[in-house]
Amino acid sequence: MSESYITPAVRAVIGASNGPLLACHPVEASEVRRFYQAVMDPAPRYWDERWAKSSRYGGLVAPPAFPTHAFRRGPTEADPLDRMEEPDFDGNTRSFRGLPPVEVPLTRLLNGGYEYEFFRYARIGEPIYRSSSYLDIYQRAGRSGPMVFVVVADTYTGEAGARLIETVTTTILR
Amino acid sequence: MSDLYFDDVTVGDDIPGVVKGPMSTAHIMRWSAAMENWHRIHYDWKYATGHDKLPDVMVNGSWKQHVLIQLLVDWAGEGGWLWRMGFQFRGMNVPGETLTAWGRVRGKERRGDYGVVNLAIGLKNEKGVESTPGTARVVLPCRGGPAVPYPFDAACLGPRVSE
Repeated sequence: MSESYITPAVRAVIGASNGPLLACHPVEASEVRRFYQAVMDPAPRYWDERWAKSSRYGGLVAPPAFPTHAFRRGPTEADPLDRMEEPDFDGNTRSFRGLPPVEVPLTRLLNGGYEYEFFRYARIGEPIYRSSSYLDIYQRAGRSGPMVFVVVADTYTGEAGARLIETVTTTILR
Repeated sequence: MSDLYFDDVTVGDDIPGVVKGPMSTAHIMRWSAAMENWHRIHYDWKYATGHDKLPDVMVNGSWKQHVLIQLLVDWAGEGGWLWRMGFQFRGMNVPGETLTAWGRVRGKERRGDYGVVNLAIGLKNEKGVESTPGTARVVLPCRGGPAVPYPFDAACLGPRVSE
């Protein structure tokens, strides 16, 4: 039996929640452009003002899961690049969504998967809010050793608290 | 883009795929920069292969998800709605691969005025190796029926109607 990383301190953060937190700026046309160009999905709903105005959206919108990327580093937040000299720093903090950190001494991180429910697309200029919680944190044996699964639920809302998307994200520490 | 109706969907249908690639480190860098994703496994080959023991830098899972979303939103059209989806990153994708998002209709059910289509989805490379298996539920209008509401609320779906 391998070491258990699910210590009482780790177990204690399951259920921890925060929010709604406001993204540091509203949805910008330029970040939406860079998004759809990087995905190579130039659908008119993201850039063709005339088309979008007469569509069910009533104006330009961001791609469906854009809100999950809307929480960029704010002007007063620490710069992650300051830690790049640390040999085990992979560019990510272990403080998921600003929730209490998951204190597990595993330095490799992989994206495990997502579950989504979509309600509406964010509009250009719309503020994005996020409420998050740790749904579960558990350990499984993997081929290359133990893996810890961190499961986070997020609700993203826009103007007037309108639901945009609900997500469940699994991150794997190994 | 022609409208898609629930009535026109048949279980077993393959929906039109979305092809990306061949993927390069520049594609990965472009996505990582656009999303301000500093995870080293996407741009630091030495870190990816040395520290994380990966075969190469990785195509971002956060990018792959949007290709699956594009697949489903394109298919649903402006009259349908991608309601739910879920998928797991079971395999890695690296530069040089050409990726095809695919979907197959696994079931359909009439729910009041609307139809719900269940699909199997995934992302395969040029060798047919699957990396991102999942499922999705798409709501479509029925011929002669009302438009699917936007914003979408699942409360609009009635009880299942036997056909």
